[in-house]
Amino acid sequence: MDLTPRTSEVNAPLAPRKRNTKWGYVAVLVVIVVAGGTIVTKFLTSAIDYYCNVDEIGSRDGCEPGRRIRVQGTVEQGSLKSVNNSTNFVMIFNEKTIQVVYEGDPGGIFQECIPVVAQGRLVGDVFEATRIEVKHSNSYVADNTERLTKAEAQVCSPQAG
Amino acid sequence: MDAQTFNARVATPTTRLIGALAIVSMAWVVIGGLIVTPKDVDQGDAVRIMYVHVPTAWVAYLAFIVTALASACWLLSRKHSMGFDRVAGASAEVGVIFMAMTLLSGSLWGRITWGSYWAWDPRLTTTSFLLVTYIGYLAVRGLGGSLEQRARRSAVIALLAVLEIPLVHFSVLMWRSLHQKASVLSGDGDIKMDGSMLTTLLVGVIGFTCTFAWLVMHRQRVLAMQDAMQMTQLDAALRERADESAGLK
Repeated sequence: MDLTPRTSEVNAPLAPRKRNTKWGYVAVLVVIVVAGGTIVTKFLTSAIDYYCNVDEIGSRDGCEPGRRIRVQGTVEQGSLKSVNNSTNFVMIFNEKTIQVVYEGDPGGIFQECIPVVAQGRLVGDVFEATRIEVKHSNSYVADNTERLTKAEAQVCSPQAG
Repeated sequence: MDAQTFNARVATPTTRLIGALAIVSMAWVVIGGLIVTPKDVDQGDAVRIMYVHVPTAWVAYLAFIVTALASACWLLSRKHSMGFDRVAGASAEVGVIFMAMTLLSGSLWGRITWGSYWAWDPRLTTTSFLLVTYIGYLAVRGLGGSLEQRARRSAVIALLAVLEIPLVHFSVLMWRSLHQKASVLSGDGDIKMDGSMLTTLLVGVIGFTCTFAWLVMHRQRVLAMQDAMQMTQLDAALRERADESAGLK
């Protein structure tokens, strides 16, 4: 509601400025709706294959061999090898294993005995990963020599997802 | 309005007390988080990001719940006190800032531990959607119209938007997620965290909550001043129009 006196020249520029402000907010809203839509779309697209456990490959809907999937499992102790900038390891879950090959260093806190999610495709018996993410647990344990020695002495076991 | 009047209207003994509590607890978090608490056995020093990430997430949830409660109070109260609406708006503004901090700190944490800044996993996606929703809420508040119109439409949005919070919080249980499950509020009573880490985290939650309360109290008072100014301008415009009409007669 514009109550600015029609005859006042001093206040005349106020009305267009308010309209501009309003259109600014409308533009922000449009951007937000588009951003929201993009996020939901990305999520739904991504959620389809986020993620299968190693033992579900070939047995669960959406985890068919040959299609692009994410697979979760634990890096088996003693299986990690780096050859010519390629990272090779065995991923284990519920006693089922799969050989994984990844070009480069996975980064993060990637190591043996840690759960990971590998994104890629199963070619033959080997899972060719294009991305590896470390799935760390919700336990926070202080790093001290005693515990570290104890942890090193333990044989890692596959963690439930 | 001079600085002394501004101070008299915005700061009160309560806000000063809350502010002091916030400073003390935040100092504790800085010292505890950077010096006293140990490294994590797997994550190393990266675990220290938790002392910011978790409290900011908690405060963002709290802020959006306060927004919803204040909005409900505005809708249900007979007088439709604008104070409720201003608290709702102030809380949402602060919540958006804290939610953005959560995503930013989480992204940095993810880079160090997961090996990537971002993943379209359920927790991260629903959290970013929650942030976008509340930015939209703030945009709606700025669309113009009378104070009552602003309060009514934003209250409806706030009551709908708050429903996203359970979706965000339980997303790690409803879907398979890269994000870890809750360590403290896991529901099984087993807190999977070292003692000093837990203490620092809880102090962090207190510190960030006090900061939130301090910011909202100040911000809602500033909003009250803005509303008062808007009403004064409206009154002035009405007076001028009345004078103009009287002059024409």
